[in-house]
Amino acid sequence: MRSSDQVECHVLVIGSGGAGIRAAIEASQYGKTVLVSKTLVGKGGCTTMAEGGYNAVLNQEDSCEVHYEDTMRGGAFLNDPRLVEILVKEAPDRMADLVRWGAVFDVTGSCEVAQRPFGGQRFPRTCYAGDRTGHEMMMTLKERLASTAVERLEEISVISLLSQGNSVCGALGLDRDGEMNVIAADSVVLATGGGTRIYDISTNSSSGTGDGYALGYRAGAELIDMEQIQFHPTGAVFPYDARGRLVTEAVRGEGGVLRNTAGERFMSRYDPERMELSTRDVVSRAIANEILAGRGTENGGVYLDVTHLPASQIESRLPVMLEQFLKFGVDIRKEPMEVAPTAHHIMGGIRIDPTCQTSLPGLFACGEVAGGVHGANRLGGNALADTQVFGKRAGESAGKAKERKIVIDEAQISLQQDRLDQYLNGEVNPAHVSGTLRTAMWEGAGIFRTGEALTRTLEVIRHLAGLRLHAASHRNLLECCTVDNMLTTASLVVRSAMIRRESRGAHVRKDIVQDWEPKNSPFGHTYLSIHRDGIEQSGGK
Amino acid sequence: MKTLTVKVSRFDPERDEKPRFETYTVEVNEGARVLNVLHAIHDEEDPTLAYRYCCASGQCGSCAVRVNGVPVLACMEEARDGMTIEPLNLPVQRDLVVDISPLITSLHPLEPGEECRMPPAETVNALKPLRSCIECLACVSVCPAVEVAKFAGPTAMRQEMRLALDPRDMRDRTTQAVEEGLFTCTSCQACWKACPKEIEIPGKAIEKLRALAHKKGFSLPRHLEVAKMIEKTGRSVSRTEPTFFERIEADVFEPYCEAKATVGFFIGCMYSHRLPQTALDAVEVLRRNGIRVVIPREQVCCGSPLIRTGQLGLLEMLQRRNIEAFATRGIGTVVTMCAGCGATLKKDYPSTPFVVKDINELLDEYGIEAPERLPMVATYHDPCHLLRGQGVSEEPRRLLSKVVRLVEMPAVCCGSGGGVKSGFPDEANALGEKRRKEIEKTGAELVITSCPFCEFHIREHTDLPVKHVVSLLLEGYREKDRKRNETCPSA
Ligand SMILES: Cc1cc2nc3c(=O)[nH]c(=O)nc-3n(C[C@H](O)[C@H](O)[C@H](O)COP(=O)(O)OP(=O)(O)OC[C@H]3O[C@@H](n4cnc5c(N)ncnc54)[C@H](O)[C@@H]3O)c2cc1C
Ligand code: SF4
Ligand code: SF4
Repeated sequence: MRSSDQVECHVLVIGSGGAGIRAAIEASQYGKTVLVSKTLVGKGGCTTMAEGGYNAVLNQEDSCEVHYEDTMRGGAFLNDPRLVEILVKEAPDRMADLVRWGAVFDVTGSCEVAQRPFGGQRFPRTCYAGDRTGHEMMMTLKERLASTAVERLEEISVISLLSQGNSVCGALGLDRDGEMNVIAADSVVLATGGGTRIYDISTNSSSGTGDGYALGYRAGAELIDMEQIQFHPTGAVFPYDARGRLVTEAVRGEGGVLRNTAGERFMSRYDPERMELSTRDVVSRAIANEILAGRGTENGGVYLDVTHLPASQIESRLPVMLEQFLKFGVDIRKEPMEVAPTAHHIMGGIRIDPTCQTSLPGLFACGEVAGGVHGANRLGGNALADTQVFGKRAGESAGKAKERKIVIDEAQISLQQDRLDQYLNGEVNPAHVSGTLRTAMWEGAGIFRTGEALTRTLEVIRHLAGLRLHAASHRNLLECCTVDNMLTTASLVVRSAMIRRESRGAHVRKDIVQDWEPKNSPFGHTYLSIHRDGIEQSGGK
Repeated sequence: MKTLTVKVSRFDPERDEKPRFETYTVEVNEGARVLNVLHAIHDEEDPTLAYRYCCASGQCGSCAVRVNGVPVLACMEEARDGMTIEPLNLPVQRDLVVDISPLITSLHPLEPGEECRMPPAETVNALKPLRSCIECLACVSVCPAVEVAKFAGPTAMRQEMRLALDPRDMRDRTTQAVEEGLFTCTSCQACWKACPKEIEIPGKAIEKLRALAHKKGFSLPRHLEVAKMIEKTGRSVSRTEPTFFERIEADVFEPYCEAKATVGFFIGCMYSHRLPQTALDAVEVLRRNGIRVVIPREQVCCGSPLIRTGQLGLLEMLQRRNIEAFATRGIGTVVTMCAGCGATLKKDYPSTPFVVKDINELLDEYGIEAPERLPMVATYHDPCHLLRGQGVSEEPRRLLSKVVRLVEMPAVCCGSGGGVKSGFPDEANALGEKRRKEIEKTGAELVITSCPFCEFHIREHTDLPVKHVVSLLLEGYREKDRKRNETCPSA
């Protein structure tokens, strides 16, 4: 089954979202770079779906210090301060790259990139292209990529990292026909994005299955803060199959208000100062509370209303929202949307240092798959900036790595071959397994958590992981690998959530009483690897 | 939950010579999209079904398929019982998966200079609509020109225009677009209508690029001749027989019965100079149905041949003269019988002090006297500028079905538009021959259409008679009169 040809390169980038393409563009200056992607380049992943915007300090009256503070405070001080410093300092430069490469952001009258207010920030610093900011970035990055010599391997999914001694030296890919591809590289950049598809209600694209966390974990990399799952306050609730689809924060940034069925602007009870533009963890919990208290709609949501805004503003600033809701029979210019929280972003991830080096030599990580930048709650607009800032850094670090002689260890390949063969002889439909997992995660590791529910959820995951997944043909092998990744990622989330015995940011333990504010928490990062797990004491340094 | 039965095109390159249909019955939720049906088939019926999707929210362009022949995004289109799901009309790799990567990667990237500033707001506003492309290639899949000409396709033109507009780009995109086949587009509007993001490629990219190309001296000699002719005579074609205006004596034609309405009649160059009889037929049909017809002689070419080929110099003058011709007579409704003129007056004129209606719309709206039925089977060729340009499709069908039995064929461009017939006769002929095959498949004895360019061009590609809707109606009336005279000769 294994195709004979082996690809060799200096840098292998896995994932073609914002972080992966940015890394590949950078790495290509240093040597042969290969970009491997589960989907067609630029089509998969969440970057292209990102709507609201990109945070960068561009205005004289704003400052990196304030952006830094907003990010740390928003992240409940669990962020790695070094990474945050880099993020806020370099976000404007990376924005400038995009502008030079032709990105079409909205502009002010004086030809500056326009900025809108976003939750948890004291200055309107979120740059945008209507409500298709991520798509605009992807179009720009793809154009730039086309001007480089980066080789693309499209619709090939990495199913395992290859290692040589204790370092990563390449990856094994699986194409759509179930053929294996061997890619050897001096250094590997993991940019596979997030994984909230492990939840029943999620904003993520089909590739948000947490592959990268699982790949890194199995190869021996350390992950941090995997319990920190961001539930975005506003996901669609209707129709059923569209549940979880993101209703961008830009709706509130533009002036949208939240109301319960009693017509009350309930945010005044939860955060009277910031109201709808409070941080996401706070707004999500507020909405979840309103619904639990019986003040939600029949479809299980609350109202998000922009009908008081001029139709022209909705049409020009929120065209995607308008189009999506119209398709489902709701004209948001005339009637309110119904929304409820949805699993959106994984703040935790593979531990990196400021050069994007992971705990494994040869392996770099950037974008959503990496942890530490956003702490316990990500500010809207910081993830897109993260993809560019750390994408470039990862590409550069990987590019600068030394060339070396790579010997592919055939034993690692046969191990994967055996795994695939087992799927062909398995018996359980992978779609059913992922369905059960998603429901269990939503119920047991959602917005509100208890030790008991987490324990139960971990048992479900372990049970599912023990089932023998069945691939109906060679072309279905990938589905089995993906479900396997989902199970691994889910177990990392639940295990970390059990380890963090406090409420912090997006992680709420209903069963634990604490007398500290996040700033004075005795705890730092949770960490997990195949070698160890635990929680750091205070500060995380 | 509800149960749907759907037909899905399956193709396994190792086993099948050509695609085959499979029928599946699945359970889905209320409000389910086409994509949810595919998921249900894959998860519960046949896991080998191959299809693409990623974002499931209309933003990545991975999941475009044809539902009942029409390109849609599977994730946005509501699923319906009995629907047929096929891949886009592009090279099929497996089942619903088509090969779109080569085309996407061939789109030209921006070549940045040192300039590191955003363009001004008006440029950004012009760029934004061209930027919302999600590279689904629905447009390419329906473009008639890419199939028969050397043409990079609609979304490539969109990209060239996007680059041409952007001051940060350092390249000459106009020349590039010309090399990529800018002038082979027939202006059929199919791409725009298929685009899930409703990007108006013909008007917002192709015509704009053609205007840039004209300024650079790239206009085709035949297109320049047309412009010269319009400048000299006010008409885009020469006269081959006495024109419509030479054949009418009055400017106002009273109806044969009580007047229901008064309309101004916009003739158009082709019906005035090349097919005057058809225009006379129209006047007869209007009079017979209670419409008073006013025909200002000062009217000139609508400007369509100039707009479609990017020669905008004379446009304002033509528009002014036409608007004045009708406005000075206080006319509230102007009727057109040429699809191209109608679309131009409706969409390309800044604003008109009158309402413009296609003759099919007008007759259908006021209702017509029943004609005699003729024992014939006809097929109808949708003129691009009527179907897609004006959204008129049911009206002509309702009218002609009163006379003959209608058999349908797919609505595809005949190749006569956009200056292609004069500029690229081989392309126009290739498309005309494709029409011939479709017409033959229907078994019709007669082809009906509602555009002089289509009428003229299709005549060269079929042995059957080709007629305008009004000429057919008139035949029905003549037959009716003949029969009446037979039974009651004194009347
Ligand atoms: C709907 C939505 C809206 C958002 N809006 C905003 C916003 O407005 N502002 C903001 O800052 N953030 C926003 N976010 C978050 C942000 O978009 C993401 O965190 C960020 O784009 C992630 O980028 P990435 O490059 O790390 O991964 P992604 O863009 O997710 O890309 C991952 C890539 O990895 C590939 N891949 C995955 N697994 C494999 C594998 N096994 N083998 C090979 N390739 C693989 C995928 O195909 C894909 O190409 C939003 C997220 C969502 C879901
Ligand atoms: S208008 Fe018709 S011919 Fe021209 S690009 Fe669009 S689909 Fe092709
Ligand atoms: S222009 Fe429209 S139809 Fe064509 S690829 Fe882009 S989004 Fe799709």
